Amino acid sequence: MFAQLTQFESPPVDFFSLTPLFILVGGAVVIMLVTSLSPRPIPGWFSTAVSVAASAGAAVVAMVLWNDVRESGPYSTVSDAIGIDGFSLFFTVLVSLGVIATALVGDAYVRREHIAAPEFHALLLTAATGAIVMASANDLVVMFIGLESLSIGLYILAAMQFRRPHGREAAMKYFVLGAFSSAFLLYGIALVYGTTGSTSLIVIRERTSSLGAMVSPSELLIVGIALLLVGFAFKVAAAPFHFWAPDVYEGSGSPVSGFMASVAKAAAFAGLLRVVVVALGANEGDWAVPLAVLSAISIIVGAVMAITQNDVKRMLAFSSVGHAGYILVGVQAATAEGMSSALFYLFAYTFMVIGSFAVVSVIGWDNGHPIERYEGLAKRRPWLAGAFTVFLLAQAGVPMTAGFVAKFLVIKSAVAEEIYWLAILAMVASVITAFMYLRIVMAMWARDADVDDAPRLAVAPATAFVVAAAVAITLVYGIIPDSLIEFTRDAVPALVAGN
Amino acid sequence: MTMFASSATSSMPILTWLILLPAVGAALIAILPKSMPGLHRQLGVLFSGGAAGLSIYVATQFDTHSSGFQFETIQEWIPTLGISWHVGVDGISLWLVVLTGLIFPIVLAGIDPHGDEKSYTAWMLMLQAGSFGAFLALDLFMFFVFFEIVLVPMYMLISGWGYADRKYAATKFFLYTMFGSALMLVAMLTLVSLSAGDGGLTFDLVALAERQALGVNTARWLFLAFAFAFAIKVPVAPIHTWLPDAHTQAPTGGSVILAAVMLKLGTYGLLRFGLYLFPEASVHFAPLLVTVGVIGIIYGAIVATVQGDLKRLVAYSSVAHMGFIVLGTFAFTTQGISGSVLQMVNHGVSTGALFILVGMLYERRKTRAIDELSGIQKAAPIFAAVFTVSMLSSVGLPGLNGFAGEFLILIGSFETRRWWTVVAAAGVILAALYLLWAYQRVFHGEPTDADLETPEMRGSEALLMLPFIAAMVFLGVYPQPLLERIEPSVDALVTHLEEHTDYERPEDVVIVPSDEPDSSDEHVDESESEEEDH
Amino acid sequence: MLVNQFLLLGAFLFCTGVYGVLARRNAVMVLMSIELMLNAVNINLLTFGYLHNAVSGQVFALFIIAVAAAEVAVGLAIILLIYRNRASINVDELDLMRG
Repeated sequence: MFAQLTQFESPPVDFFSLTPLFILVGGAVVIMLVTSLSPRPIPGWFSTAVSVAASAGAAVVAMVLWNDVRESGPYSTVSDAIGIDGFSLFFTVLVSLGVIATALVGDAYVRREHIAAPEFHALLLTAATGAIVMASANDLVVMFIGLESLSIGLYILAAMQFRRPHGREAAMKYFVLGAFSSAFLLYGIALVYGTTGSTSLIVIRERTSSLGAMVSPSELLIVGIALLLVGFAFKVAAAPFHFWAPDVYEGSGSPVSGFMASVAKAAAFAGLLRVVVVALGANEGDWAVPLAVLSAISIIVGAVMAITQNDVKRMLAFSSVGHAGYILVGVQAATAEGMSSALFYLFAYTFMVIGSFAVVSVIGWDNGHPIERYEGLAKRRPWLAGAFTVFLLAQAGVPMTAGFVAKFLVIKSAVAEEIYWLAILAMVASVITAFMYLRIVMAMWARDADVDDAPRLAVAPATAFVVAAAVAITLVYGIIPDSLIEFTRDAVPALVAGN
Repeated sequence: MTMFASSATSSMPILTWLILLPAVGAALIAILPKSMPGLHRQLGVLFSGGAAGLSIYVATQFDTHSSGFQFETIQEWIPTLGISWHVGVDGISLWLVVLTGLIFPIVLAGIDPHGDEKSYTAWMLMLQAGSFGAFLALDLFMFFVFFEIVLVPMYMLISGWGYADRKYAATKFFLYTMFGSALMLVAMLTLVSLSAGDGGLTFDLVALAERQALGVNTARWLFLAFAFAFAIKVPVAPIHTWLPDAHTQAPTGGSVILAAVMLKLGTYGLLRFGLYLFPEASVHFAPLLVTVGVIGIIYGAIVATVQGDLKRLVAYSSVAHMGFIVLGTFAFTTQGISGSVLQMVNHGVSTGALFILVGMLYERRKTRAIDELSGIQKAAPIFAAVFTVSMLSSVGLPGLNGFAGEFLILIGSFETRRWWTVVAAAGVILAALYLLWAYQRVFHGEPTDADLETPEMRGSEALLMLPFIAAMVFLGVYPQPLLERIEPSVDALVTHLEEHTDYERPEDVVIVPSDEPDSSDEHVDESESEEEDH
Repeated sequence: MLVNQFLLLGAFLFCTGVYGVLARRNAVMVLMSIELMLNAVNINLLTFGYLHNAVSGQVFALFIIAVAAAEVAVGLAIILLIYRNRASINVDELDLMRG
């Protein structure tokens, strides 16, 4: 290390592997530069187009890299700080798709709410870059940088709804609790660094595996793991560290809430899987049971709190807490199967939740999103109501939807490890949550609702496209999930050194 | 898996088409514009009628002497998890499939949903596709998918087209059934994961049933989870409370389908996924289930007696009837189980008819309260006559269909479950009591002016009732075509029980033993067929 | 060197920061408490870096300082936004959303 200092050599960088990141950041830069330097005002669709194109490009490059990785195996670059493996590429694709969907839904949203379009899209792209960096990080420092680019971008995105008092309040809460949880995570990282002597996940894994043979594992490491769990639990909105989520989801703009519930949650899970499950895999005994408990609490809290809500967005927020719990069911199994089931769940959930928040965005804000405003939606916009029904039933875990297969897979991974109590608890709680989803469905399809004087709902074509695509993905992967299951099975973090 | 694929007998996947045809119809109707009134329903009748035709074709081509699965199709579905699209029909499912095939077009053609025919028809067709799927599935995952997916259209039908309290009833129906399936899913995954041997994971019903890889205690727990899910669906007391609400609040068409088809998923599930998958546990818990069944018979009958709402009364009579089916199922004799299977069909016909009649009565009088109706026979003698026949069929009068099933169940169970059978027989008398009493109050007595103005049955309504009455009479006097297809499979199931447990069926039950060639590839065993004379 | 003392100092500062975030009502004080937590982490990282005789701890601390600055900038902007609308930065008054 010191030798490097005295005679500095820049580490070899495989630039092609980093192309997805460059494209996304480049998109953000292009948006900011063009819109601020142009003498004439640039129409809003320009920013949308750039962010969609950039994320589509990133996804395509990721698929190319995916082919390479399948043929010649995973590798690391930038002196082992960035891992290019199935896992990171899976999240690159997932995050890029999430950005495309959010950007398209956000297009109409920023226009309606008079939010600066270039900033919205640029922040979306930088936040997405952070998410991908988190998923690719082979080093705790890089992980931290990714986490912060994601978080800071999201703080501002949450604050963009600043004309409403709810929006300002949500931004403040999100910022304080986000920074608070980052500090916990960092403290955990510091302790892990202290006990293992390295910030590289590859080295950490080597050292903890050999430490595992020692008679007594270091107490500091256990405290470090505990703090990491707390930090990640905040980020994925797992109970009892979830209390920011309902307020923030409610107060932020609906496309942003969808982005938080999908991409931000996925990135946090990526970090959790990479750091805790893989790098600290030898210490499974220290984190598996706490994760199972977190999972159980999240599922219960998500279910019980969701049914007491009257605001659709808060319902979705609490259900998002519950879904974090279901994903944790797969994570705590600590097996390859469990991990791939968690990835499947994240993929399926991303589209269900972005679609749901897209519908919520169309309905719009009027002193909150009380469920009464959804009454008779089927009469006003039958296809929109149908799509929302699909998303809600998918979240409830009704068969023929990706949500069912996701639940099926995580429960299967828990059962395979003989963790029956959690499997039963998760399934029973899913019945309680179903009550909440059915309430919304029932309200939408109420035949006696009086909708004659309701204002006409404008569904922008881009939003309609996102909703339709999300429905298609939810149904297709619900009926023929095989290809996605295989995809997630290949997407395990490799943590290998060198290229 | 390949060894099962080779047993596929049909070149054309007719059973797959049976599931797909209504589903395609539903999709087609969903995309047709609303502006074409009448067309949706006609298309619905066409598609469900097409499925009915296919189901009848299956019944006619069904090999009477075979106890195994016929018309089998195996297609890989999710190979990474060992899940396949495996459909097949045997004597146990055959008539339920035919019933599902026939009742939907009748309901669609004959019962006016009162509003939004397009969605109503689409949901009905989806329900038909789902029910076919559940009855035909020979893969646990596939069964579970269909078992649960049928909740959605039924939920929509109740909540969309039902009566005043429909939202509560629909939600209750959905959540009750989902709760049962939640536990069943965990049990199913446990079964699959513990049975995974050298061949890897498989969700194939036949493979799992033949493997019997579980320990005794595990199998018992899993059986309880499965049985609980099915018991909710049947339903057996005390977890039946969703049924009266769902039936009463559902639109007439929904009630008919609920009674005729969806309740059968529970009893069919007990046979297919209880007895067949967990023989030892079934034998172990048989006293429990038989007791629950008998409680259902008596409880349903008593509660039906005190109902003031005619539709609720019929709903509770369903609880009693389903209790008989559970009793017969866990009698473990060929007659008992055959009687149960036959009774599933009978119950569908007679209770379905009663629900339609109550619906007609409601349309005429806007009430179902027994107190507010009286002497309707004077105003509508034909209506009363049709009601009488349906009611007597439900009571189990000899010569009508209810008798054949109940009689077989009672003989079959008497050998193995003597005292339960005695109590159950009292249920038959109670059934006569509450149905006749209700009939007497509604159709006889002193009519008021309103009663005298009750319109008589119209020609179209009579046409709707005709197939039901015909079925009641036909199945009552000549159930043989059904029984000779049911019995080989049932017999093989009882043999399966004997092979895997220390249970032995009583010898003297066999009335006329005869050797029949058995072409099944999983149970090469002697099979008996019984002659029924009454 | 007495490594433990530095670790204990870090732990103490971190706990002070946690207390501050939870107990303080003034948003700026909350922000400063978060900074305190981050600095506690920095002390830890430097100590561990010294312990392992590696430079990575110091590098990490530099990253944290830089990122914390960015975070504070965003945080102050949000606080300003709230202050402009209500002339108060009491976090207890942020109670529009409950349930």
